[in-house]
Amino acid sequence: MYIGIDVGGTCTDAVLLDRGLVRAMAKVPTREDLLSSLLEALDEIMKGVEGELVERVVFSTTVITNLIAEKKYDPVGLILMPGPGLSPSLYRFPTDTHIIQGAIDYRGREIIPLRLTEVDQAAAELAARGYRKVAVVGKFSCRNHRHEKEVAARVLWNYPDWHVELGHQVAGQLNFPRRVVSTYLTCATREKYQFFVRSVQEAISQRGIKGAIFILKADGGTLPLESSLEVPVETIFSGPAASTLGVQALTPPGETAVVDIGGTTTDLALILSGQPLLASRGARVDDMLTHVRALAVKSVPVGGDSVVERVGKDIIIYSERLGAPYCLGGPLPTPTDALRVLGLTRLGDADRAREAMQMLGAPLGLSVAEVASRVTTRVIETITREIEAMFSRWEQEPAYRVWEVLQKKKVRPSTVVGVGGGAAGFVSQIAARLGCYPVIPPYAPVANAIGAAVARPTLQVTLRADTEQGFYIILEEGYQGKITERSFNEENALELAKEWLCKRAARHGLEDCVEGLEVTRREVFNMVRDWVTVGRLIDVTVQTRRGILYHVGAGGTSE
Amino acid sequence: MKNKKTGLVFFPAFDWAISPTHPEREERLLYTRDQIFEEGVLDLPEIEEYAPRLATIHDIARVHFCVPRVQSQVTEAHLIAAGSATLLADAIVHGELKNGFALVRPPGHHAMRVVHGNRGFCNINNEAILVEYLRRHHGIKRIAIVDSDVHHGDGTQDIFYHDPDVLFISFHQDGRTIYPGTGFPNELGGPGAYARTINIPLPPGLGDETFHYVVDNLILPILEDFKPEFIINSAGQDNHFTDPLGSMRFTARGYAEFTRKLNPHLAVLEGGYAIETALPYVNLAILLALAGHDYSYVREPEWPGTMPENPERVARVQRVVEQLRNVWENRDRVDLDKIFGTGTFFQRRKHIYYDTDYIEEEQLERVRRCPNCPGYITIDSRADHGYGHPSRVFCVSIPFTACGTCQTEAYDAYEQARGLVQYQFVYLQDKSTDTFLAFDQDKAQEWVSEGPRVGE
Ligand SMILES: [Zn+2]
Ligand SMILES: [Zn+2]
Repeated sequence: MYIGIDVGGTCTDAVLLDRGLVRAMAKVPTREDLLSSLLEALDEIMKGVEGELVERVVFSTTVITNLIAEKKYDPVGLILMPGPGLSPSLYRFPTDTHIIQGAIDYRGREIIPLRLTEVDQAAAELAARGYRKVAVVGKFSCRNHRHEKEVAARVLWNYPDWHVELGHQVAGQLNFPRRVVSTYLTCATREKYQFFVRSVQEAISQRGIKGAIFILKADGGTLPLESSLEVPVETIFSGPAASTLGVQALTPPGETAVVDIGGTTTDLALILSGQPLLASRGARVDDMLTHVRALAVKSVPVGGDSVVERVGKDIIIYSERLGAPYCLGGPLPTPTDALRVLGLTRLGDADRAREAMQMLGAPLGLSVAEVASRVTTRVIETITREIEAMFSRWEQEPAYRVWEVLQKKKVRPSTVVGVGGGAAGFVSQIAARLGCYPVIPPYAPVANAIGAAVARPTLQVTLRADTEQGFYIILEEGYQGKITERSFNEENALELAKEWLCKRAARHGLEDCVEGLEVTRREVFNMVRDWVTVGRLIDVTVQTRRGILYHVGAGGTSE
Repeated sequence: MKNKKTGLVFFPAFDWAISPTHPEREERLLYTRDQIFEEGVLDLPEIEEYAPRLATIHDIARVHFCVPRVQSQVTEAHLIAAGSATLLADAIVHGELKNGFALVRPPGHHAMRVVHGNRGFCNINNEAILVEYLRRHHGIKRIAIVDSDVHHGDGTQDIFYHDPDVLFISFHQDGRTIYPGTGFPNELGGPGAYARTINIPLPPGLGDETFHYVVDNLILPILEDFKPEFIINSAGQDNHFTDPLGSMRFTARGYAEFTRKLNPHLAVLEGGYAIETALPYVNLAILLALAGHDYSYVREPEWPGTMPENPERVARVQRVVEQLRNVWENRDRVDLDKIFGTGTFFQRRKHIYYDTDYIEEEQLERVRRCPNCPGYITIDSRADHGYGHPSRVFCVSIPFTACGTCQTEAYDAYEQARGLVQYQFVYLQDKSTDTFLAFDQDKAQEWVSEGPRVGE
């Protein structure tokens, strides 16, 4: 049996799946102490079920999101080696930033050497200001991490008890400013996250569960909880990923727009050709751009509990929530009240809902029904426009090869799937406007927990080989190795990448996942000097299969 | 804020090459990609990346006579490079962008009006396609193209040689020392477009300082007088001190400063073959300059610092600058009949060599000297591919602002040539109505391109 738990901002949802069927579900309020909410939900779905029967528990959590949002972490200083390029004044990192000499180029060659006296000085200044944590990041460090390592060694020589985080170990992709932020956030959250993980492990074992514990990442893959200690920031934004995977598990494959209507926000995601769409670049965290891989999710600031007000002759929906809808005893009218008046929901008190619409409409001479339909139309229009925009943004994504440009075709959703509290009232009209079928799947209110339960573990390995210089890099591991074979080619690179993926899988206890590997990137460039090929640059990315383990409600047929 | 962004189409065409070891190959923009991605410039709020799009066959036919037809001379990569420039131009004209950079391959500035094959790595001329597109779709009339490639932009010059509304300025390494061997100060445009072509040959080895002397004392003043509605930079980067094909000593910073001063609406990548030592830095610096950012931290690893210039060569450049300023200032006072004769037609013979495809072309170009419009053009072109019989074609081009007489005469010329068996193909390019015809003598068949239809 599988368990999925989604610790959201207001509710903690949990499901127990037994071979593709929902055996039990729970919804409890999320309290300050996340762990107690988690245990309460767990106890509710485990009634009468032996802990030993649970093969795996997956949860998604806001713990890192909250740590970052509330800045509940120790200060982290930055030591950066940006080298030539963009003016450092364009970097606006939210902490003490020390820029030192030293530069690596795009092929990993040193172009400016380090000056260790500058490292000493930067560290001394940080020490004087009370820092004990430092992120060290160099431009192109993912192509050669020598400078980062030398700086770290020097800092630790001076301050052996400091926590030093290195850019190349956090992110392997290009984009220096994003690598800085990712490294900074990793450094900032690691300790607190470690504490959280330990208490979760403790609590779950107390309930007699011996199965594997996983955590959902923003990209919809899972990681063993223990392994997630390496990449705490990747567990951010797993909520939207959970509901998208839930929809994937609860509906037939196709082009789908996922609409998760909550209290104050509506999260939108796309499922294209049966797979959730990944964002082309890393996620924005606390208004900083990172390398965190995430599903493409658009959060629209409108939901069932958004405040609705009359301003002059206009009726405006605000992005904030000031309590429950009026029909549920709240202070001000909301879209939920409008739905109640139109008979599209059974939540709350009908008379109070009418009263709410009356308050808005009376000065404008509008009837209760007219106001209600105006409010719902506004919400529907906003969401519809955002779905259209998501599709066109996806179409507008750059392409760097002729075949990529040629194969981009217009894809539009065929279904709109609604999950979340407010979905029922809005989804059919959103679908009608987009010309597709509305779907409210069974178990929609706990789709997120279902998504967590069935998410596949994911691992990927990116290998970059430079045969002219005779070395290769495993981006995710921050490993640099030598190439000895003179005839090293694309096939060798692929084999080597697969070997590394297997090693990585073994280290995380995921040996089973290595079947059905996917090659997601394959690039070979000949390097030519004076009309002679002197070497090759080979980039390959292999990953375990993405997506869900099985569809739910269909008797557990495998994908 | 509106009107603040710089648009970028980055299309490195990682799956297109002339041949595996040719300088124009897949790898060319690879390190530029790495540098731009690693710097994170695409995350800057002032820069917006666009997905490329394809130009239409019709967009190409508006400029070129491709033999036998457009589809046989262009690949999809060519259409994407040209289409990306027009895409950015649309966004600039609509006010979404303040300027843009089409960082695309393949290049185009050696492609002339008649295309028998590839010359100087070019098949179709991205800037010329852009100019005609701007006129047709946005009604923009006065356009300036400034070519900063180390090679003379002979294709662009050829296409606009008789066009009074397009100012073409090219500075480049002296044609006596480099391909294509043209671009001298006496090439000034035809009788109807005198001094609308300005060529500034530079002696090999010149650096930033003298380059900026030319910019400040010749290029910018001329542009100020001409008052173009749209400025295009043919942004070739082979003037860089590390370029394997050129022998100039420009730096990334020199290029960026030039970009800042020129302030073009759109820069379109041309040559530049120092793919590791120059392109990543020059492209980055140009992009930053367009976006109004500080580019002074962009420095190539082998940056030589400021170098003393050879005084004799500097003096030579100063003389050319002075001579061309004179030409420009007196352009409306010169006796054109004295230079071009008094015939109804001005004609010139051209020998064109296609260095990539080894084609020898002989052309007789005639332009009607019309008092009411720029005059229609006919070209009798014979291309020797080195095997079999040379192919011979006849081309008629009617300018965008043609008068009725020229239009009628041009159609007559087309009809007449259709009856002559020596021409395998006869073409008519009517820019005034945006209609393009081609007649295949062997098959006695005519093709018409009347612009994109629904669904194209
Ligand atoms: Zn060139
Ligand atoms: Zn005329």
